[in-house]
Amino acid sequence: MNEFTILMHLLSNKTNKIQIGASKEEILKALNIHGKNESVYFQDLITHLSSYIEPLGLQIRFNPLSSRWYMAFEMQTSDFFSANPFEGKPRLAATLFCTLIYCLKNLGIAKIQDIKEIRKKKHIIEDLKELRKMGYLQLDDKLGYVSLTPLIGYQLDLNKLFIKLALKVKDQKS
Amino acid sequence: MGEYKDFSEEINRKIEEIQRKVITGEVTLLDVELFPIFENLKDSLNTGNLNRYSITYKNASQLLIQKFEELKILINNIDRKEGFLKFLKSNPEDSEIYQLLNDCWIKPFNIESLSLDFLEYSRDKLSVKRGYPTSIEHIEKVEVKDTFLLEVPEQKFTEKMLIFYNNIKNKLPCSFDEIFEDDQNQIRIYENFVYLLHLLQLGKIKYQKETNFLYI
Repeated sequence: MNEFTILMHLLSNKTNKIQIGASKEEILKALNIHGKNESVYFQDLITHLSSYIEPLGLQIRFNPLSSRWYMAFEMQTSDFFSANPFEGKPRLAATLFCTLIYCLKNLGIAKIQDIKEIRKKKHIIEDLKELRKMGYLQLDDKLGYVSLTPLIGYQLDLNKLFIKLALKVKDQKS
Repeated sequence: MGEYKDFSEEINRKIEEIQRKVITGEVTLLDVELFPIFENLKDSLNTGNLNRYSITYKNASQLLIQKFEELKILINNIDRKEGFLKFLKSNPEDSEIYQLLNDCWIKPFNIESLSLDFLEYSRDKLSVKRGYPTSIEHIEKVEVKDTFLLEVPEQKFTEKMLIFYNNIKNKLPCSFDEIFEDDQNQIRIYENFVYLLHLLQLGKIKYQKETNFLYI
């Protein structure tokens, strides 16, 4: 057993439905790495393991919503396995997308009323409840707020999405 | 002389093509991979084409600078969350949002207690070329009571083949069927067919597939 064996275990570990992989602190603790160069050593390990698992069609990713590192299939392989959990459910995907944008704007929480207004569609509450059931949202009916769980951060490349969105907004302006 | 290949014109044409597409709004530079251009320049550069390549390199660099400018604008846009909200307020269709999410989905890889050793072992096993093991089949022995004599043809194969060739060469060119049409003996037809195949392989007789004709 070596560092990579431990890393493989930590990064592919699923604690529960919405918690996958490990945080930097957990990895450093498990590998007993400390001292002023711990971040450099950590980056080095992640980079090396990435190059090892690349031929297997795997990559190491970071979920900004949970600050955890995890292992995923490469984008092309993900397409092959049909990673889209909203296949044939564009309405639910659109509601989740709106929630994501509002949460991004309001430091992690969004008003249900705002989502209702922007969606201009019926059954938004049902959509939100369905998304909660799927593990993507936490819903506070009484206070009228909704927040994201880390799950979408594992399943969606947020960086790529925001770049695509920025390009779309830019195109609309011009 | 073969070493001094000059692709500068080809690369310049590619650069001009990209610039034209950018100007007409067909693509943005962020959609275009510039890496192959620089890779091509690097690989084909030599002392013989250095002068021309320096201009090509300058053009490619100009494109790269333009791309950086576009990237800077994009990064500024990403930071503007209001812009995203504006997009939502434009009342996009569900299908449009669904399309936007396309190619962004990731499949996490979760297998507990999986070690790198196991993965490497699996990879090595998969990459090995596999051949099927040779199986030895035992031949069924037949007991022969009398003394067994192997029948050997009186003439050699080549001689018999040449006799067949001399018999038919005056008929050629003719259709494939005409060669055998006079013979009713199936064994002889089969034997002659084998000679014919050998003659075709040796090139003494030729065959035209389209017309089904044999000729010399």
